[in-house]
Amino acid sequence: MLALLAQVTLVHFVTVRGVEPSLVLVAVVWFAIRVNTQRAAIYGLAAGLGEDILAIGTGGAWTISTTIVAVIAGALSRGFFADSLPLVCVITAIATLVRLLVFWVVMAFEHYPSGLAVLHFHEAWVAAALNAFVMLVAMIVARRFDTA
Amino acid sequence: MTIFTYRDERRLFALITVIIVAALLALVQMNAQRSGQASPLTTVGTSVVAFVEMATSTIFDGVRGGSSAVLQLPQLERENGTLRSANLVLEKENQRLHEVAAEYASQGVAKPLVDLYPNALVARVIGFPPEGTSRSVTIDRGTSGGVHKDDGVVADGGIVGRVESADPFSSKVVLVTDYTSRFPAVTRRGRFWGIARGNLSSVRVEYIPQDAPIKIGDIVVTGEGRSFHAGVPIGRIVRIERGDETLYQTAILKPAVELGALDRVVVVPK
Repeated sequence: MLALLAQVTLVHFVTVRGVEPSLVLVAVVWFAIRVNTQRAAIYGLAAGLGEDILAIGTGGAWTISTTIVAVIAGALSRGFFADSLPLVCVITAIATLVRLLVFWVVMAFEHYPSGLAVLHFHEAWVAAALNAFVMLVAMIVARRFDTA
Repeated sequence: MTIFTYRDERRLFALITVIIVAALLALVQMNAQRSGQASPLTTVGTSVVAFVEMATSTIFDGVRGGSSAVLQLPQLERENGTLRSANLVLEKENQRLHEVAAEYASQGVAKPLVDLYPNALVARVIGFPPEGTSRSVTIDRGTSGGVHKDDGVVADGGIVGRVESADPFSSKVVLVTDYTSRFPAVTRRGRFWGIARGNLSSVRVEYIPQDAPIKIGDIVVTGEGRSFHAGVPIGRIVRIERGDETLYQTAILKPAVELGALDRVVVVPK
């Protein structure tokens, strides 16, 4: 909820090449890799639904894409340690790409006008790098607090 | 897949239930999206979040202003003396400008937007779309304040967009640069018609006849449409795309309003 509120009020002012980092996705992946799959799905569902409620014209695109990504992240996390910096950053980047892919596919089904595929493709890579960076910073900060 | 290795079937059933609930909620949202109306979930959610957004926005502005003031305290003290002396000069200048402004107002040249548009409502921008997938903003006026779907939104200088959905205490405004945005448009010089379409960072005016002698620098205004009366500036032409094998030409506009720095806007009920 905090990540969602920050996303719609503050993160708008922090963009790189017109792309905002997604605190919502980072939060979902953060929790999804630390819990079992069904709880991860619940987190993804709640976060995605919240984004759909606050967005314009997305229908259920964020709900579907975020839930799917949370399930995948939750399932994948059973095979590695959730406190591994490089692994979690890679998972975050992949989750970003998968989520945006599903999002725009659903948007296409909802009759979003075509013609921006290349732009969305480029934005997705920037978003993946940004989200991985945010996750990296978040994990480093969390470790500091853990050791303190 | 890992999920098929669960020994406890209850967990699997729980996961399936979650996915079914997700699908149902998504269907409700998509159904509302297709019918062009806000879903019950959206109405309830936005009403609650609007208050939190207003509070967050106010606190953020306060903290940002307060912290910058503390950091600049030594410099502010030095500037204070200079400004005091400058203030006397400016007060005299201010009196003169008030007289000039009053003269312009009496001639109907410099009327504020709220005077120009009857029933206009001033609103504050309190939120932005998550993750910037659309060009839109949330304003702090809703149906309880007299805002309706498809009302036009302007700022000093020109068109901002139109109200896409109005909830009780907030409304979502699709900016003129959004990819789904469409307005009838006409060049102020020559009155050549076209359709203004959002292109994320600019506005494209399409379907202008190939033989229309439009030029870079021409101002494009709204035509009479669903959200706006005719004559509100959309932007200025910065590029023209002409093809030899097409019936139409396209003008690329720089929006008349700085849409990245919106603070207060005016809702113009049609």
